[in-house]
Amino acid sequence: MKAIFQVALGILAAIGGFVDIGDLVFNVAAGAEFGFSLLWVVVVGVVGIIVYSEMCGRVAAVSKRAVFDAVRERLGFGVGLVALVAAQLVTFLTLAAEVGGIAIVLQLLSNLPFLALVPLAFIGLLAAIWFLEFEWIERLFGYAGLCLIVFVVAAIKLEPDWGSVAHGFVPQIDTGDPLVYLYFMVGLLGAAMTPYEVYFYSSGAIEEGWTPKDLGLNRLNTVIGYGLGGLLSFALMITAGALFLPQGIQPQLIGTVALGAEVPLGQVGLLLALVGILFAVGGAAIDTCFSFAYNLAQFFGWEWGKYRGPARAPRFTLAWLVLLVLACCVIATGIDPVMLTEYAVIFSAVALPLTYLPILLVANDRAYMREYANGRLANVFGVVYLVVILFVALAAIPLMLITNMGQG
Amino acid sequence: MSRPKALDLALGVLDHQLVDPDGRRCGKVDDLDLELEVEIGEPARVTAVLVGPRYWPGRVRGPIGRLLARLGGGDGVKVSWDDVERVTSAVELARPASELGLGRGDDRFRPLIERLPWA
Repeated sequence: MKAIFQVALGILAAIGGFVDIGDLVFNVAAGAEFGFSLLWVVVVGVVGIIVYSEMCGRVAAVSKRAVFDAVRERLGFGVGLVALVAAQLVTFLTLAAEVGGIAIVLQLLSNLPFLALVPLAFIGLLAAIWFLEFEWIERLFGYAGLCLIVFVVAAIKLEPDWGSVAHGFVPQIDTGDPLVYLYFMVGLLGAAMTPYEVYFYSSGAIEEGWTPKDLGLNRLNTVIGYGLGGLLSFALMITAGALFLPQGIQPQLIGTVALGAEVPLGQVGLLLALVGILFAVGGAAIDTCFSFAYNLAQFFGWEWGKYRGPARAPRFTLAWLVLLVLACCVIATGIDPVMLTEYAVIFSAVALPLTYLPILLVANDRAYMREYANGRLANVFGVVYLVVILFVALAAIPLMLITNMGQG
Repeated sequence: MSRPKALDLALGVLDHQLVDPDGRRCGKVDDLDLELEVEIGEPARVTAVLVGPRYWPGRVRGPIGRLLARLGGGDGVKVSWDDVERVTSAVELARPASELGLGRGDDRFRPLIERLPWA
């Protein structure tokens, strides 16, 4: 039981971080467009986020430094500032998209008008952040978000052609529409390796007071958490491939995602899917909201952390409060959350290298990391992924423009 | 004071977190004051740690640096190197932030946050 609670950070990282609105949108859209043939990209993304989250958790546990401490130290003030601005823009876009997602799910559950539900989403998020301790935020959103496992059941119940599913794990390129396929590859990698996941994870490790003794827990958290996130992503894509592709449905709405559980499992499936999405997207909203405040505080040296309490970390508190209000205002304008999500994911892909390079450098610094510095395995993976995300970052925006956001 | 004889200033001190004896985070090392009159062949010595928006234009040249400094309030504090206790992954100070004039940004916003319900 204790072990189950201990991996809470990993579970929230998986549910609220990995499987957020970006993954819901991109995995389902990818399945509806290309069936199972992009499953292998999810594997690449999951391994990448495990590699870098493990590094971030280790750096935080050993040197007590979170991601933007490392960014500021290694990139300096000027380049670090560019990284900060990019990170904050992407994090803000993502938060707004998540708040939109919450309002849509509440609308599906209640039939009330969307605009009335944005303030409700705001109050719900504010209350959770203000009144719950960090650990309980993780537990509530992480474990309630586990309702998403309904998609695994749905995927099995839909009886897809398992041979084709297995074939989807073999790296390939769709020759019919290679550019759109590449756009989805970039989107899936961007969604899987979204930078805010590591901002939140590394700062969360400091919130929880990790020391080198917790390195085993760190490894467990990343492997179980993101492994679970990967499993859910597979399930979403398989469901969409089995259900939407044959009927030619291109999901443009969050509600269509939940349909994937309703068709094979009925009302119970739909309800579980909606509750799962609500908590996953809610958890992600809190992650992004905090990430924004963590990044600012770490770059400028302010006091930060939920564990400090609002009065001891005033600028940190003000930062997340103001951001949450702004995100709700943006969503209240009626902007389409799905479109916002696509922009957030694609711009995330561009911001990736500036986030991951400083982490790799710090994780190799023996002066701080001592015997816990990167071993050869972590470095081989770290460098390979740095090359991968560099390509992803360069290709993201051109592909978005050429393919008209995957519309072909 | 356990101070290493030579330190890689660019990597080991500049842009690091400042932490006071109570564990309070109170700024970053935005710049360094160096003693320039040293014998040839001798390493330069740090005399002070410079903290605050006033020193940002030295890090980002041109109008952007100046604009940032103005947005940040333009304050700057010079902390003597004698007030530095240790350099680990953070720069640990020997005296509380309030005595050194650090952490004033957070102090300024504290009354506002304290006025919120249940804070």
